Amino acid sequence: MRTEDLTARVMKDMDPELFDFVTTYVDSFIKWDLLRFFYENPRTMDTGENIARYAGRTAKDVQAELQDLTRRGLLIEMPVENMRVYMLKADPEIRTRLQRFVEATQDREFRRKVIYHMVRH
Amino acid sequence: MQNVKRVATGIPGLDAMLNGGFLPRTANLVEGAPGTGKSTLGMQYIYEGVRRDEPGIILTFEEFPEQYYRDAEAFGWDFRALERQNKLKIIMSSPEVTKADLENVEGTIQNLIAEMGAQRMLIDSITHFEGLHQDPVELRKLMYGYLNALKRQDLTLILTRESTHLFGEGLQGQLNASIQFLADTYIMLRYVEIESAVQRAIVVLKMRGSAHDSTIRQFEINAQGLKVLQAFEGQEGVLSGSPKRMSESFMKAFVRR
Repeated sequence: MRTEDLTARVMKDMDPELFDFVTTYVDSFIKWDLLRFFYENPRTMDTGENIARYAGRTAKDVQAELQDLTRRGLLIEMPVENMRVYMLKADPEIRTRLQRFVEATQDREFRRKVIYHMVRH
Repeated sequence: MQNVKRVATGIPGLDAMLNGGFLPRTANLVEGAPGTGKSTLGMQYIYEGVRRDEPGIILTFEEFPEQYYRDAEAFGWDFRALERQNKLKIIMSSPEVTKADLENVEGTIQNLIAEMGAQRMLIDSITHFEGLHQDPVELRKLMYGYLNALKRQDLTLILTRESTHLFGEGLQGQLNASIQFLADTYIMLRYVEIESAVQRAIVVLKMRGSAHDSTIRQFEINAQGLKVLQAFEGQEGVLSGSPKRMSESFMKAFVRR
């Protein structure tokens, strides 16, 4: 069986909106951590280095993922003095989609599918 | 100054000590050892503001907002709901980022204050500023600018500061001398050991531009939050953490008259 077929089979039952969210934003465990972090702390406004410390990850790894989430439109990056500061986008639609994703991860089967997607990515 | 409208904390007993509450647009320091109730006092102040239609912001350094939601819930304050109603916002950031942001025209915090019409702020805690400068003079300048930037927004602030000692005098660090001068009000929370039991004490050491009650009082944290109780009677050296009972002759001569 080809990879695409297998992926499609595992993901086929997923809600289309959640499927879109997962395939758009979630392609690593660090991103998953960051999504959860920004959901729980939606008014965080800080540097990559500090966010890495809060998330218990290395600054190098987190910085790259923050930039990627910014490119994909989930976060905003602001220059503040000589620092680059990250925040969750204020767009209510994005916040609602993020909430739906985090709530869905309470389900073991959903988590399994997301992990499968990340591994195949 | 006595006729100026006060910013009530909503804490039973504390407002009386403060002659009705804080003066508007002031920076008010609450200093104490871990667990004495600094953050609870600050949260209660913010919650009281919301009750009075004075929206508030909690600016936290390193403490996750989740912690505030949970702690507030224990007192029956639904901070998540208040955030949804735009009456409260909890910002997690760092001293260096917020300092730079406040210096910006139309920075994120300034915009948020204007958008919400925020009148109260809790900064929890300013101890984290000590990492920004080794030089106490520079640190004092930095704090002076920072507090003025917030007061300029018509905010009345509570700043918490950690004391390193559980009992007695424990003020240390570069901010020690500076912040006591810069703050308009200085409230100290202390653990006190009396007859083999740990009690909590509160004292207003300073209140610029206002009369205040300077007695050392007991306080408790109950299901509704902080509640200031009676003064420690017949004890001396309360702030040392290990008070002694006053001698009977002294009590007869000066206290029980």
